[in-house]
Formats: sequence, C-alpha cells, structure tokens
Amino acid sequence: MIRTNDHFHGLRAITKYHSKLLALVLSLLPMGSLWAAEQDIKNRGEYLAHLGDCVACHSAPNGRKFTGGLPFATPFGVLYSTNITSDKETGIGHYSYEDFYDAMHLGKSPKGNLYPAMPYTSYHLLTDEDTKALYEYFMNTTPIKQKNKPNDVSFPFNIRFGLKAWNAISHEDGQFQSQSNKSDAWNRGKYIVDALGHCGECHTPRTNTFAMNPQQYFQGAVIEGYEASNITPEELNRQNWTHDDLATLFRTGYSRKGTVFAGMYPVVYHSFSYLTEEDMRSVSTYLLDNDADITEKPLTFKGHDKQHPGYKLYMGYCAGCHGQDGEGKPNVSPAMMGNATLDRASPYNAIAVLLKGVPSQHYSIASGFYKMPGYEKTLTTEEIRTLTEYLRSTFTEQTKKVSVKDVQQVREGFDALPAH
Amino acid sequence: MSQNIKMTINDQPVGPVEVPDGLMMIDFLHEYLNLTGTKFGCGAGVCHACTVIVDKSNGVSEVVRTCISGVERFNGHAVRTVEGHAERNDKNEITALNPIQTAFLEHFSFQCGWCTSGFVNEAIALVERLEKKPIAVNDVEQVIEDALGDHVCRCTGYVKYYAAVKDVILKTEGLTHS
Repeated sequence: MIRTNDHFHGLRAITKYHSKLLALVLSLLPMGSLWAAEQDIKNRGEYLAHLGDCVACHSAPNGRKFTGGLPFATPFGVLYSTNITSDKETGIGHYSYEDFYDAMHLGKSPKGNLYPAMPYTSYHLLTDEDTKALYEYFMNTTPIKQKNKPNDVSFPFNIRFGLKAWNAISHEDGQFQSQSNKSDAWNRGKYIVDALGHCGECHTPRTNTFAMNPQQYFQGAVIEGYEASNITPEELNRQNWTHDDLATLFRTGYSRKGTVFAGMYPVVYHSFSYLTEEDMRSVSTYLLDNDADITEKPLTFKGHDKQHPGYKLYMGYCAGCHGQDGEGKPNVSPAMMGNATLDRASPYNAIAVLLKGVPSQHYSIASGFYKMPGYEKTLTTEEIRTLTEYLRSTFTEQTKKVSVKDVQQVREGFDALPAH
Repeated sequence: MSQNIKMTINDQPVGPVEVPDGLMMIDFLHEYLNLTGTKFGCGAGVCHACTVIVDKSNGVSEVVRTCISGVERFNGHAVRTVEGHAERNDKNEITALNPIQTAFLEHFSFQCGWCTSGFVNEAIALVERLEKKPIAVNDVEQVIEDALGDHVCRCTGYVKYYAAVKDVILKTEGLTHS
C-alpha cells in the first residue's frame, strides 16, 4: 500500500510537473512554430540565392562572400558588383523589404537606378513569396564592412538618370505566367530558368538598346569573348542532350557532351550544382521541352581523314590529351567525339578555346580537368582555322568550312574587351 | 604509319624516319633515339617533367611537354633536350655544364632527379628570354614563379630550385636592370 500510495503520490507529482511543463511548451508553441517558419524561409532564401547565383557576381576573386568588387567588362566600361551583405553601412542591411523588392524587380536601389548588369530584367519574374524568402536570407547574412568600388564607365553611360529612360523603354515588372498546356515540371523549370537562373541574360541576343531580344530567346550570343550557347530545345535536342546529360553537366560541370567553361563554370559551381533532383528534372524538362526520357545516341567520330592538313595538327597538339580517336581522358580532358562545343552552327567557341585554352576546373575532390593551354601564340591563324575545321568535320556532323575571317573575328572579340 | 618525321635534336639531324600514327614525342626520344634524360612523369601534361625546348624557324623558342605532344608537332623544328645543354669537346666529353645545371647542383636543388630535366629546360628557356628582354630586379621572383610554377617536384621542394634560378639570373650580366 505504501508503495501504492507512493506510487500514486509519485504519479500525481509527475502529472502535476508534466502538466506545468506541457502548459509551458504549449505556451511556447506559437513562438516555436514561428521560429521554425522563419528558419524555413531563410533556408529557402538561401536555396533561392544559390539558384540566383548571387555569390558568383557579388564576390571578387579571393574576396569574401557577397562583398562585391567583381569587375564586369561591358561595352560601356567596367562595372563592379556591390556589397550585398547585411552590413547596414556598406551593404544592404538598411534595405526595407520595399527597397529589396524594387532592386530585384525594378532595378532601383535607394541610391538610384542599378545598371542592368544586375539581372533585375530576369529576377522581376520572382513571386512575392520567393522575393520575401530572399529578403529574409539577405538580411541575416554575416555583415561585412567593405566599401563598393566606383564603376569605370564612360560618359554618357555614367549618368544613372539615363537608366531610368532605359527602364522606361526596355523593362517592365511582371509576374511569371504559367502555361496551362504544359506540365507542372515544365512550368517550374521555366520559372527557375527565366527568373532566378537568369539564363537569357547571356544566352539571348540583345537588341540595339541592349535589352534581351524576345524574338531570339535563347538562340545564343557572344559575351566576354565566348559564345553563350544556343540553348533552344531545337538545338539541344539536335545535339542529343538527354535529361541525364544536362543534370550531369549542371551538377558536375561536365558530361559526355563536354565541359562548361568561361562564364558558365561559375554558374555550375555556385548555382546549378545546388539544384534539388526535382528542380533539376524541371529545368531539363523545360530546356528540352520534353517530359519523357530521351534515348542516348552514340557520339560522333567519323574516322580520321589523314590527307587533311588538320590531321597532323590534331595528332601533334590534341591527341596526347583528347585521345587519338577523340575519346578523352577521365579527369584530364573531355572527349572530342560529339563534343557540344564543336557541334554547333558557329565555330566561334571552338576557335576561342583553341586560342585561349581553358583554365583548370575542379568540381569535387574526385573530379576535375587539367587546364588546356591556349595556342594563340603557338599556332598561326591558318593553323587554328584548319584545326577547327578538322575537329568539327571529324567529331561532329558540322560540315561548314571555317574561314580565316572566322578566326580573326574571335581574336578581335578578345582584343576589344576592356582591360581590368 | 605517319609520314616521315625529320627534325634537329641537340644540333644533330634526325630522320627522315617513319613512325606510327599518334606517337608521343617522349616515346620518340626514348625508343627511337635513346635520349632518356627527358622523363615520363604523369603522362597527362600536369607535372611538366617531360618539358623540352623547341626552337622554331621564326626565331621563337617555346617549352613543350613531350608526354602529351605528338611527334608531328616537332616535325621540321629544332629541339633541345637535357642532353644538349652542356658544352662538349671533340671526343663528345662534357667540359662544362650550363650555368643552370651548375646552379642546381650547387644548391642541392634535386634529390631523385625525376623532375630535373624539366626544370633545367624551363629555366634555360627563361634565361634566354631574359637575355632578349631583361627585367627589373624586383620582378625576378615573380618571373621565376610564373615560369616554373607548373613544374611539380615531390622530393626536395621548390625553394632550392627557385633559389638556384634566382642566383643565375642575378649573377648573369644583362638579364636584369634596376
């Protein structure tokens, strides 16, 4: 009995204690769920910041994350990205949500209009919910005091008032519109690609007023010395990209169709490699305009034409790394067979890579490629022309002749870039 | 089979000789000419141990990695390997080393020696560039780093190689200005 009494006493005591605890927990629950919700929105904001690739532009080489200072060579001069940490003085910590919304959707900061190097022309498609999540994330980044570098932009483009006029004719805020005849995955992919992915900023040619030309959506454009690829579904399907190929390329930086390089490398490294499986499939569904799986075709190698003067150049300069039959070497150099850099209407990028090479690119501790040397000083213009033509005619179905003028055009493109 | 290959190696005419398609230059040096001073390291162009000097007919010299370069690349050109830098007498006996080789010995720059021929060629090419275009004394270390930075050494490290090259550049008249 004593034991029972004790037991009862104990039980009652525990119940009493627990009921108090329960009451406390219950009283804290709204706060707890609020905290969890805030965390959730910040985490989502961080994911969205990855998709927006904010860090790639808003961090300088060897600089701290989001402190800006990365130079952009534009036709108007050199622009420098800005500090977007939560520092209230030099960053954007003093922004209200309205300020942040205006920057993302209208290209307006509290200090004036932003240059459209900041892709508000794409970000404006963001939903309010996603804009808020991003705001929450950026207001809680580590504040770092670092003053912005002044832009080196020539007259009249240094007058920011002109940007207001540019916005009036070239930019309109608007919501993303789903297409009801397409799948949810396709629409989600389009939203990622067009809004935060801001793919069109490089891959869509620009009009005379430097706005993205909707008539040439994703048809490819030369930017900073290289050609951002034609990524229309027609071209990607012609090149036989599969969903897996695109996912591998976006996650690891390379695929059986070759590697990313130039401006696309940081996109993969800082942004697309963070895509969830589901979002990755959505992106490839939209880019390929196909929800279904795609059959992989063999990579092209038409055999060597030993009479072609490009054959000796290939064997002397390329085969050591890319393989005698263009099969490539794992973690050294990509395959030439069916390589998407060669397999395109224009020889521009093939020439650009031969001239300038590709820096060493590492994607993880277990994968990467060694740098490719540039041959602008080693090979003559005629040799570059011959080699480009040989690579394209041997490893792709492209039969268009490459001219000396094609090579000169790429050289001139590099020469015209402002030094920074 | 590839077409006949003809070149000059260490001032000696080589060829015409018929070689198989896709033969890498390092295999040509080893298997056809018994010039084994050029070492095969990574086989992927990373370590630079296999570097030789190519003197092109237009007067430009360049350093080339032989493990990733086909023999066709060297056809018709003059090539220098580690075997060709020392001075020799009529009996082909070595009478004096190149100053870079001497400096590497004096600085104990190498241990196993696998990377040494690559360092020797790269450093000699650098000295020859500076003869044509001298640099400021303050820039010497950076120029050495730029030239030798891709060469991998797994034994004694890089300091003694770099110190030796710096020594040669500073002590040789005409390579630097203040």
